Amino acid sequence: MLKPFRLLEPDTVAEAAAELVGEETKIYAGGAELLLLLRHGLLDAATLVNIKRIASLNEVSWDGSNLRIGSTVTHHRLETHPLVREHLPMLAQAESHIGNIRVRTQGTLGGNLCFADPHADPATALLVHEATVTVAGKETNRQLGMKEFLVGMYETALQPDELLTQVQVPPLPAGWGHAYLRIERFYRPTVNVAAAVRLSDGKLDGVRLAVGCVGPKAQRLQELEAKISGLPLEEAERVVTESKPYITDELHPVDDLLGSADYKIHVTSVLLKKALGQSLRNGGEAKHG
Amino acid sequence: MDEKPEELKTLQSIEISLTVNEKTWSGEVPVEEVLLDFLRYRVGLTGTKRSCESQVCGACTVLVGNQPISSCSYLAFEANNRLVTTVEGLAVGEQLDPLQSAFIRNVGTQCGYCTPGQLMAAKGLLLHNPTPTYEQIAEWMKGNICRCGCYPAIAQSILEAVEERQKP
Repeated sequence: MLKPFRLLEPDTVAEAAAELVGEETKIYAGGAELLLLLRHGLLDAATLVNIKRIASLNEVSWDGSNLRIGSTVTHHRLETHPLVREHLPMLAQAESHIGNIRVRTQGTLGGNLCFADPHADPATALLVHEATVTVAGKETNRQLGMKEFLVGMYETALQPDELLTQVQVPPLPAGWGHAYLRIERFYRPTVNVAAAVRLSDGKLDGVRLAVGCVGPKAQRLQELEAKISGLPLEEAERVVTESKPYITDELHPVDDLLGSADYKIHVTSVLLKKALGQSLRNGGEAKHG
Repeated sequence: MDEKPEELKTLQSIEISLTVNEKTWSGEVPVEEVLLDFLRYRVGLTGTKRSCESQVCGACTVLVGNQPISSCSYLAFEANNRLVTTVEGLAVGEQLDPLQSAFIRNVGTQCGYCTPGQLMAAKGLLLHNPTPTYEQIAEWMKGNICRCGCYPAIAQSILEAVEERQKP
């Protein structure tokens, strides 16, 4: 049973931001996570601010260099949207893995990112895309990189009076291949890995790697990216396999219901290695002749 | 056991109007009321089942528009001005939906508790993709748990319903 709450339904971002006062005021988008927390008494909300009436937050558009995704666009719309499939196939794939079809019908990209559950799918793919987010408050409107936005376990850079309005996602540069790999239990990924790679003259000349679910937040592995750039695939795979100490330092692994820290680190190194090869087969190997 | 939950103490009610299985319902609902309780206790349709209340099991699946949702975790006011279909809305008069006939023929059920949700999830799939492959069925239906383990018969039932629909 849900405890009583007051429902506000603003029509504009400014009106919504003006309502975000007090700790017990929560933004209600899809509600896929929020309603569960309220039911189980893990969160108290005296007021819910429904942002689904704000038309601008429900748009997906291509501006010539970024796909602009409004924060209340649902996962199901993203996994099936022609613009997402065309420009961001890896995000479409990550979205298609979320929960189950009912969760994807109801849950929104903005809600997923703001909830910041470490065991989530979109953030890992968005880090490799070097996406940015726009957040708006009563008097502020700022843009942040995904890396700055994700702060920790269930924690983002959002201020109490701010809401996430849009995610801007540039496609991968031409000639890059990608892979999104995960293993899953109980609908949530145990570990996920996103990779984007380009091969030139038999060597990796562009690498982006991100890992989710292992520690408090999804992260890029930039030192490892730099270390394997310039190497042929086989050598890069060997370096990745030998990088468990670095990965452990970087990701701050925690034991949780989906796996021990050691297990998740092991799976990470296996998935990263696989992701390199798969990225090359999936568009990253320059075509000759 | 499914007793009517004690009357919600609400701070706020909303006037809504929606269509449930082709019948219009208009009235006030508390903002806190979930669609499952609305269907079972206001409309009197008890085919939709309560189970995990966590968006995991799928027993409470209904369609809003043509999309499957967990009615246990979906606020009733969100269905304002929309079409809701429950398992009671599948048959046309005495004529069962091809999915229902196929579930009966294949015994796609044992205890039957998850069946209304399985049927509604399958209906949502066929509205979305009228000719799914076995793999697409498995992927879509993975959100509906059957503790009796009738999955092979459920998948077979959906495949047969697809075939039946394709018959001239």
